[in-house]
Amino acid sequence: MTQTASAAKKTASTKAKSGSVAAKASGPKKARTKKKQGTAFPFTAIVGQEEMKLSLILNIIDPRIGGVLVMGHRGTGKSTTVRALAEVLPMIERVKDDVYNRSVSDYLEAEKPKKGAKAMTPEDMTIEDIPVPVVDLPLGATEDRVCGTIDIEQALTSGVKAFEPGLLAQSNRGFLYIDEVNLLDDHLVDVLLDVAASGRNVVEREGISIRHPARFVLVGSGNPEEGELRPQLLDRFGLHARIITILDVAKRVEIVKRRHDYDDDPQAFLKKWTREQNKLQKKILQAKELLSEVTMGDEVLTDVAKLCMQLGIDGHRGELTITRTANAFAAFNGDKVVTIEHVREIAGLCLRHRLRKDPLEVMDPGEKIDRELAKVLGEVEEV
Amino acid sequence: MIAFTDIVGMDLAKQAMMLLAVDPSLGGVVVPAAVGSGKSTLARAFSGIVSKDTPFVELPLNVTEDRLIGGVDLEATLLQGKRVVQHGVLSKAHQGVLYVDSLSLLDSSAVSHVMDAMSRGAVLVEREGLSEVHPSKFMLIGTYDPSDGDVRMGLLDRVGMIVPFTTQNDYRARKLIVNCVLGKRDAEDTDDELKMLRGLIEAAKEQLPLVSMTKEQMQGLIQSAVSLGVEGNRADIFAIKAALASAALAQRTDVDEDDLKLALKLVLVPRATQMPPQEEEVMDDMPPDEEMPPDSPESEDQDAPEDNSDPNEEEEEEETPDMIEELMMEAIETELPDNIMNISLAAKRKSRSGSRGEALNNRRGRFVRSQEGEMRSGKVAIIPTLISAAPWQESRREERKKKFGAVKTALIINKEDVRIKKFRDKSGTLYIFMVDASGSMALNRMRQAKGAVSHLLQNAYVHRDQVSLISFRGKEAQLLLPPSQSVDRAKRELDVLPTGGGTPLASALFLGLETAKQARTKGVSQIMFVVITDGRGNISLQSSYDPDAPKATKEEVQQEIEAISATIFAEGVASVIIDTQMNYLSRGEAPKLAEKLGGRYFYLPNAKAEEIAMAALS
Repeated sequence: MTQTASAAKKTASTKAKSGSVAAKASGPKKARTKKKQGTAFPFTAIVGQEEMKLSLILNIIDPRIGGVLVMGHRGTGKSTTVRALAEVLPMIERVKDDVYNRSVSDYLEAEKPKKGAKAMTPEDMTIEDIPVPVVDLPLGATEDRVCGTIDIEQALTSGVKAFEPGLLAQSNRGFLYIDEVNLLDDHLVDVLLDVAASGRNVVEREGISIRHPARFVLVGSGNPEEGELRPQLLDRFGLHARIITILDVAKRVEIVKRRHDYDDDPQAFLKKWTREQNKLQKKILQAKELLSEVTMGDEVLTDVAKLCMQLGIDGHRGELTITRTANAFAAFNGDKVVTIEHVREIAGLCLRHRLRKDPLEVMDPGEKIDRELAKVLGEVEEV
Repeated sequence: MIAFTDIVGMDLAKQAMMLLAVDPSLGGVVVPAAVGSGKSTLARAFSGIVSKDTPFVELPLNVTEDRLIGGVDLEATLLQGKRVVQHGVLSKAHQGVLYVDSLSLLDSSAVSHVMDAMSRGAVLVEREGLSEVHPSKFMLIGTYDPSDGDVRMGLLDRVGMIVPFTTQNDYRARKLIVNCVLGKRDAEDTDDELKMLRGLIEAAKEQLPLVSMTKEQMQGLIQSAVSLGVEGNRADIFAIKAALASAALAQRTDVDEDDLKLALKLVLVPRATQMPPQEEEVMDDMPPDEEMPPDSPESEDQDAPEDNSDPNEEEEEEETPDMIEELMMEAIETELPDNIMNISLAAKRKSRSGSRGEALNNRRGRFVRSQEGEMRSGKVAIIPTLISAAPWQESRREERKKKFGAVKTALIINKEDVRIKKFRDKSGTLYIFMVDASGSMALNRMRQAKGAVSHLLQNAYVHRDQVSLISFRGKEAQLLLPPSQSVDRAKRELDVLPTGGGTPLASALFLGLETAKQARTKGVSQIMFVVITDGRGNISLQSSYDPDAPKATKEEVQQEIEAISATIFAEGVASVIIDTQMNYLSRGEAPKLAEKLGGRYFYLPNAKAEEIAMAALS
């Protein structure tokens, strides 16, 4: 996935002015692109950790779910799984070589012609398919690289103040992944919170003033023992998946074997898993298509609202996340109608991190959510 | 330099390094050992047994983020007028050895970067307009003195082998080192031995792909990992690799009992989070072991001694986690000064410091942004300086040409272009909670402390505050939680805590002081003690560490407390005393303690968690 990001940057940095030589035709022209096979460990070959895998898949199906935070034991494949994600992601269309990965309509909207110039039409443009970008934000990143800054080489050689887009630009319409997110520097957290809330990145520094879209699915991972996550940032994540050490010896033997086979001959291993990968990719695509047809009845919606109320969750983000996630989950299962059983499967993921913190609470948040849901549904007597 | 073969003792560390040389994908070796045990000599000697052209890079403790990860090469950039990349330490260690002395003193952000490079096999440089991926696959050799504090578990997890802590063999090792230094050992002998060793390792590398392990052996190792409560899957993989490498060193094609034991000892046991519930069960999955008496008391021991091993090995075989704990206790005892009163005298000269300073400063912490400033007032931020100078180049060059004729410099930078870096001191305050777990009120106090700790951590994240927990009861104080930001850990530690017994207040204060000093070396400047007690200490420091010591009188105990309090005050540590004693029982000990510590006093017999947190924050 690192390759994906840097490759995207490379093509972007050629900064070809698209559309200028385009002949009149109906609609934008499409450049041909070949999908490159990555070398990351295959997503489908990861043993166990279903909660994390499901959370990621649901976010592909509906990016509006708002990302996922994966917290848990070290060495359990958190970052391996996220980095494996790139290979099962669908393709998106963007204006050819656009550094912000914009679609034609976004592009035309943003690039209003100057006075007197002729307005650009879709016919003037070339589009291309790219895999949904997955961008890695390392802990040591500086603010200028995250937000983008003036292009130093151009500034030095020609004295031109050109904008060099940062990681936020690269991650537009894709995934932004932060490993050890609980250790991220506060000022970067501030930037992320800002951008995540508004969906756009505003750069006002070193004499440049730029704003560009930056809508991404935020994926974070970390080990809670290393530090807590700032509450505002916690709240930004749609889902919260927990990950723990697998205790089943047979499963662990399988993990070791697969890892060994992969290290031994990555190409052969990837080949062996191609079918599974394609199958999952197809299933995700089908779910994406089905999503618009999925509906949730009023009865289920009422139960969801009651559940959030019972748990004392502030605001409406809880209900909204459950609704979107349950819809995506139903679509993934090929169902057009969301039932309370769908909700039951994903409620923990959606609400675990939104419960009011009680320092003396000993019950696991997941258990608490299940219990409250059972109460709402009248499955158990109120105590 | 002292050669690998010349170092006697630390046999297990040497074995681990040999395995690493055979299979570098084991990630590294961490050697905890006391000062002067020759651990750093050994680490440096490691470069003598790997092939000659292997890079050996030492990571200095004061490394800056840009030197570690890499960044823009200032001189070259200015000279060439285009961006030139400078590779960082992590990238320079690629396909070589990265050596860190005093791993536990390494700054936490540096630890994070090392961890990241180890799991990625590369460094992502997203800094100052650079966006690059530098390969960074290295073997980490880390040494540290456990009395300096612990190494972060996340880092240890990525290192294949962790040598059990030992203070044995020091004497012999030192003697031999001395002999080497004095030239008493024959240099030719050494050369021959090293050559032989290198040959052995080369042969083992060739053998390695031929070695295999049975399914039962693999299951046995993994079952052991499960029983020991080892977190995650990395250890499974490392344990298997270590066993295979060990077999390869012996030129075998299959793994035997010794290989498995070595893997257990170097990989799994050091990561244990629990004692195995039933030892026999664990060993049942292992191939039958003739030498091990099934019913001996030693059967609790993962690495049971073999009958015909040499005496030295036998000593090491006994190093179960229990043993390690005992050894650490010994180390603590020996480091305790004979006369605690002396410390305070030495420390009194230091002035009181540690008020909440400016968050932004010119030197320390993490580079945040740049602003105009004097060249000398801080570190120059190159890129912003260049950027501010860039637009003027043409006009300046013309101007100069008019004045001086031809202009040779590629860049003309004036004083007003200079931008300096602003850093943010990332460390917040360290709150050290000392909770009196003695007597009947203990349970109540623990509950209060637990709530207060959670409160502090949840509300004060923005300041990057940390919390440490010390409980005291019975004979001595205990560090329940080293400085941490984790609410989860703090709560867990407080959940299972015995209460009742005497009040070793002096021991608690002393332990707090030690913790504070360690935190200072890691860059935490503001430290606050939150002592929840009635202030009535009745166990002397001496009797905390020496059960045979004569019982100290009340006055002696009080004197001790006063002396330590004065030291704490002189160190610039702020304090808050929460008095929990009912009014009619109090004899005014707690206010007195507050006075000696120069701290604030709160009388809160039925304090709620929030109140304690507020008191500490106010």
